[in-house]
Amino acid sequence: MPHDVTMPQLGMAQDAGKIVSWLKSPGDAVDKGDALFEVETDKATMEVEAQASGFLTSVTAAEGEDVPVGAVIARISDSAEDDTLAAPAGPDDSADLPAGKSVTMPQLGMAQDSGLLVNWLKSPGDAVAADDVLFEVETDKSTMEVAAGSDGYLAATLAEAGEDVPVGGQVAIISAEKPAKTVTRSVKSALATPSAKEPEAKATVAPAKAAPKPAAPQAKGGRILASPKARRLALEQGLDLSLLAEAGHPQPYHMADLETLRAMPAKAPAQTAAAASRCLTAEIGADGFAGFADWAATAHGLTDADALLAGLAGASMSVPCVVAIARFGQQHSYAVPATRSLSGITRTDDAPDLILRDLRGTPLRHIAMGADTAPALTVMTGATGLTITLECAPDQLDAQAAITLLATFAGRMEQPLRHLL
Amino acid sequence: MREITLSQAVNEAIAEEMRRDPTVFLMGEDVAEAGTPFKVLSGLVEEFGTERVIDTPIAEPGFVGLAVGAAMTGARPIVDLMFGDFIYLVMDQLCNQAAKQHYMSGGKLSVPMVLRTNMGATRRSAAQHSQSLQALVAHVPGLKVAMPSSAYEAKGLMKTAIRDNNPVVIFEDKLMYQDKAPVPEEEYLIPFGVANVKRTGTDITFIATSSMVQVAEKAAEILAAEGISAEVIDPRTIVPLDEATLLESVRKTSRAIVIDEGHQSYGVTAEIASRLNEKAFYHLDAPVLRMGAMDVPVPFSPALEDITVPTPEGVAENARKLCAGEMIHAA
Amino acid sequence: MAEAKTNSEDYLRMYTQMVRIRTFEDNANQLYLSAKMPGLTHMYSGEEAVAVGICEALTDNDRITSTHRGHGHCVAKGANFKEMFCELLGKEEGYCRGKGGSMHIADQSHGNLGANAIVGGSMGIATGSALRAKLLGQDDVTVCFFGDGATAQGLLYEVMNMAALWHLPVIYACENNGYSEYTKTEEIAAGSITARAEAFGIEAFKVDGQDVLAVNELTQKLVARCRKGEGPFFIELETYRYHGHHVGDINREYYRSKDEEKDWKENRDPIVRFRSWLVDQGIATEDEIEAMNAEIKKDATEAVAYAEAAKYPDVSEVDMHVYAD
Repeated sequence: MPHDVTMPQLGMAQDAGKIVSWLKSPGDAVDKGDALFEVETDKATMEVEAQASGFLTSVTAAEGEDVPVGAVIARISDSAEDDTLAAPAGPDDSADLPAGKSVTMPQLGMAQDSGLLVNWLKSPGDAVAADDVLFEVETDKSTMEVAAGSDGYLAATLAEAGEDVPVGGQVAIISAEKPAKTVTRSVKSALATPSAKEPEAKATVAPAKAAPKPAAPQAKGGRILASPKARRLALEQGLDLSLLAEAGHPQPYHMADLETLRAMPAKAPAQTAAAASRCLTAEIGADGFAGFADWAATAHGLTDADALLAGLAGASMSVPCVVAIARFGQQHSYAVPATRSLSGITRTDDAPDLILRDLRGTPLRHIAMGADTAPALTVMTGATGLTITLECAPDQLDAQAAITLLATFAGRMEQPLRHLL
Repeated sequence: MREITLSQAVNEAIAEEMRRDPTVFLMGEDVAEAGTPFKVLSGLVEEFGTERVIDTPIAEPGFVGLAVGAAMTGARPIVDLMFGDFIYLVMDQLCNQAAKQHYMSGGKLSVPMVLRTNMGATRRSAAQHSQSLQALVAHVPGLKVAMPSSAYEAKGLMKTAIRDNNPVVIFEDKLMYQDKAPVPEEEYLIPFGVANVKRTGTDITFIATSSMVQVAEKAAEILAAEGISAEVIDPRTIVPLDEATLLESVRKTSRAIVIDEGHQSYGVTAEIASRLNEKAFYHLDAPVLRMGAMDVPVPFSPALEDITVPTPEGVAENARKLCAGEMIHAA
Repeated sequence: MAEAKTNSEDYLRMYTQMVRIRTFEDNANQLYLSAKMPGLTHMYSGEEAVAVGICEALTDNDRITSTHRGHGHCVAKGANFKEMFCELLGKEEGYCRGKGGSMHIADQSHGNLGANAIVGGSMGIATGSALRAKLLGQDDVTVCFFGDGATAQGLLYEVMNMAALWHLPVIYACENNGYSEYTKTEEIAAGSITARAEAFGIEAFKVDGQDVLAVNELTQKLVARCRKGEGPFFIELETYRYHGHHVGDINREYYRSKDEEKDWKENRDPIVRFRSWLVDQGIATEDEIEAMNAEIKKDATEAVAYAEAAKYPDVSEVDMHVYAD
């Protein structure tokens, strides 16, 4: 019975061995224990002994080839003429390869694992001369042509154009005689050696590396420090730990701080828009309004100064509109007619389109309340005259409208008589 | 109920089991007439003879190896390792041989043996007679590790260990041999893997082993006077570990300190704290603290030795900080 | 060669057991080289007369502890090929359900307390087994197999001291194959090996480990004396391993010459020697022996095929058997 000669496993983490040299030739008689071939692993070079006596036949692995451990590379047969072919190196033993000389992927650089087969210049079955270019190879450095190396026929192609082939890997077989049948395979369909797998793995890793890492979303002002339990309970009970932070309670927060949080007033819904609201401030040289109000009362009987204020403000908007005047916690609204006529202003209970907070006479000099239910003008005493601030949500006034509103109103407050022109 | 010393409790447990089971025998250095340097085993040789209470040469790997072989073939040896520090001498026999036989043989061989040894510093015995090496053996799959915290536990755990079909290492605190506790006259066993809630509380859980249970109980008393209610749990065996009881307590109190006399780094406290962190994270209102011995060889000088181990005051101080929400370690 | 005995059945069994070991190892070697067997393995080939000569003097009740080079002890103590090959390939039906492998194979049913991957690691176990026999009044004997390399371990002296003090029924069987892994024994062992045991007052013997009858005869005497409470004993068995320290140890001329290997194989092979003795004594004919060899070969081939096709343990077994119930 013929005895398979396999690439031996000689160590624990060894995948393959390189055949340095055959010490017997096909057809030679061998005795069990005879040195058969030399193998090189990562550790050392060693001689491998025949495990049976007979004749060396069906040698399928050439000197210099890397062969996976366990692969059958020859046979020890009962007769020297036994030419039944041993299984090819590797698990793909479904079809026998034709006999002939191997053409392998050349190693062209020092740190090169494989070469890309660009295209075949001969077809299976073609007659080839030793100098004929068989295929083109591309490495990271260059493209080069690989010659057949021997005269004969292209009996087998073992890689397809576009495939990476490990260096030393078999690419073609040149037979001396015209082959009865040719073999065409791809690297993929054949043995997936570890070195052939590697580029694939690299390819899948590379895009992952290149992909930009999305920045982790972060709460404004940094992460609030709280115990895992406080955080979990707050989430379950709909409590907002940021309110504690805004109120100035020292972090980190624990369960006890949740009691404090529960006792705090709920935040107005508009609060959430505060961060995104528009805030514009104008300064005017003098308070022209007081004198104007006196004149209007005396000359025209318009004794409600707030109605006048509402008129000046509303006139800066698209009319008609409703303007609320807020002062000292009181708020009342006026309807400003389409005519902008100061005498046509009347009290109303409708919801305001514009809020005017009159903070003259208070010590407040700066304000940033965030957007309210309508755009809000705040009038305060300034260093030399008045400071007027407009706050609104972006969806209440676009940037240009906000600038126009504030600029127009500031102008009217500085010189109210212009309103009449 | 009568009170006996931890030493008497161990002696009683071994005597009862030797009477019950003729395959149980005792071996170690000076265990017979001398009854060990701590006199724990005094009197046993009189009852059971030198056949079953065997004085060995000073050859720790040798006699532990003998115990493994005797256990694998049908006996139930109790090996006395005079000082826990000598565990380093018997590592191959204990960890490569005893611990792995059952697994390596696919369940065909077993090693029902007990290695009783000790632990605990502050006895002025210096670096090679004071170590608490329970974490070393608890790390090895196949070994069980019991740590009695009183005479009651010492007796019940020893009897269970002798009847267990696995290698069990029992660490007795050598400072507690003369400590008395109520121990019933009638027979009882304490199952492995069942923690004992020594004191109930609501604000913080102390998980403590061996003599550290006393430390934790004293700390709990100090804190009670200040209005902080501490729960004290003794796992009794660290392998197997009664995780469920520990987690239940920590889910209730939201805070925990784990106290063990082994070195703090990579130790028993680290393992338990890590499990609480993994399995009760969303119930924690403060970081779980480890309190072990300082990461130094045990010094000889009393002035130095006493500060290397956890104290009731130290535990109480850390507990106060945790309950007040103070950052123990600034982020 | 020892004198002929009348009990030819015993002789044929000894021959069979030696061939079974050689055949087992040839197959294991092939399984390993062809990458079908994972891990690391050490061949017993060449030392068959030691394991068989000793184990044939024991009953199933007697215990042995084995070494990393343990396949021979396992076969000699009565193990089956099928469960052994399954274990070597990590299969569920292996003696240890695939959890031990080549270096931890154990067969408790025949008193094999297991191979041990720590050199000298089982000396305590063997001596402890003997201590148990004495304490419980059981008359079994334990044989502790170890190599010349293990005589350098301190544990040996600790346990021999106790065994001698307490007259334990244990036989220390030192298989001196001349090499401590990749180093000549004379480079690692000072003085005489038997003198080590004699220092404890243990009777020590040196025997040709390639002569199965000599080994068996000596062991039978010592086992009988152990049962009478005259133990312990120490035997140094001069033997030879045909392979390297492990299967991959192929290039070994730096520590051992090919001529030396050839000499042992051609002139001192225990199987060849015993075979010709059997024929000379008229206990078996060449044809009968060939038939026995073929039968064993067939058994091994079938067991290998069975083991290769056998299933691996279910992954759920990974944390089974960490603790005994």
